[in-house]
Amino acid sequence: MPEVVDRVVRMRVSEVRHLAVGLERRDKQGLHDFRIACKRLRYALERFLPLDSTLQPAAERFAQLQDALGDAHDLDVLLTILPPTMAQTQRRLQDERQRCIDRAAELWTQFAQANDSHHF
Amino acid sequence: MISRLKSQFAKVEGNTPVEPGADERRVIVKWLAKTIRNERRALERARRRFVEKPSERRLHDVRTTGRRFRSLLEDVADLIPAPQLLRRVKRAAATTDAARDATVIRQLLERSTDAAEAATARPVLDELRHQEAIATRLARKQLRRTRFLP
Repeated sequence: MPEVVDRVVRMRVSEVRHLAVGLERRDKQGLHDFRIACKRLRYALERFLPLDSTLQPAAERFAQLQDALGDAHDLDVLLTILPPTMAQTQRRLQDERQRCIDRAAELWTQFAQANDSHHF
Repeated sequence: MISRLKSQFAKVEGNTPVEPGADERRVIVKWLAKTIRNERRALERARRRFVEKPSERRLHDVRTTGRRFRSLLEDVADLIPAPQLLRRVKRAAATTDAARDATVIRQLLERSTDAAEAATARPVLDELRHQEAIATRLARKQLRRTRFLP
């Protein structure tokens, strides 16, 4: 991996690893910070693909992870403005939020265990 | 690796040959500068399209190209610093946040409201539509004044 690419990717991976605690805590702010870090890493991986095609599996994994976290974020925003009188909808949205976070956690575990994470 | 980069760079540059002996760093910096120019033009195109005729799709394009571009500028700031441009991109992104949030939340509420609570959701949806319209107008106004190309 070229030095510049290696440095940027390592820096972004380090941010993601540092903020992964948000995924364990499942709190709104922690998930938001982790999502932004994943997004930055994903962009870096995708940008440098023409220079290093071995980044492809990680780029795909982070695109999926970011989708799951993005859905959870949208649900969090909606839940904050939902009137308390909409209890049934609220329960459904909270269940959906949990599923999104479960999916993100699964993808994160896969990344940590996969061979492509050894690049980093 | 360096030969792969040189060949890739030659493709990006439209088959411009890379001089023998060019070091890896120089090749990559040139490649990055080219990438910045391309992404900058893409953002300006997206901005113009949104200002011409605002739509949810066009707003989304401004946001995604802007985010990628911002991330690129931040990643390579030590090699190719562009602090003023970065500030402009950040400011432009911030002006689109409210419109995007209102749109996404409205759509999500429309498809996830329990049938028994539809009447309760109606005023919330109306308010979101109202916010969406105001925020989109404001984003257009701000983006009309912004230029990403020199």
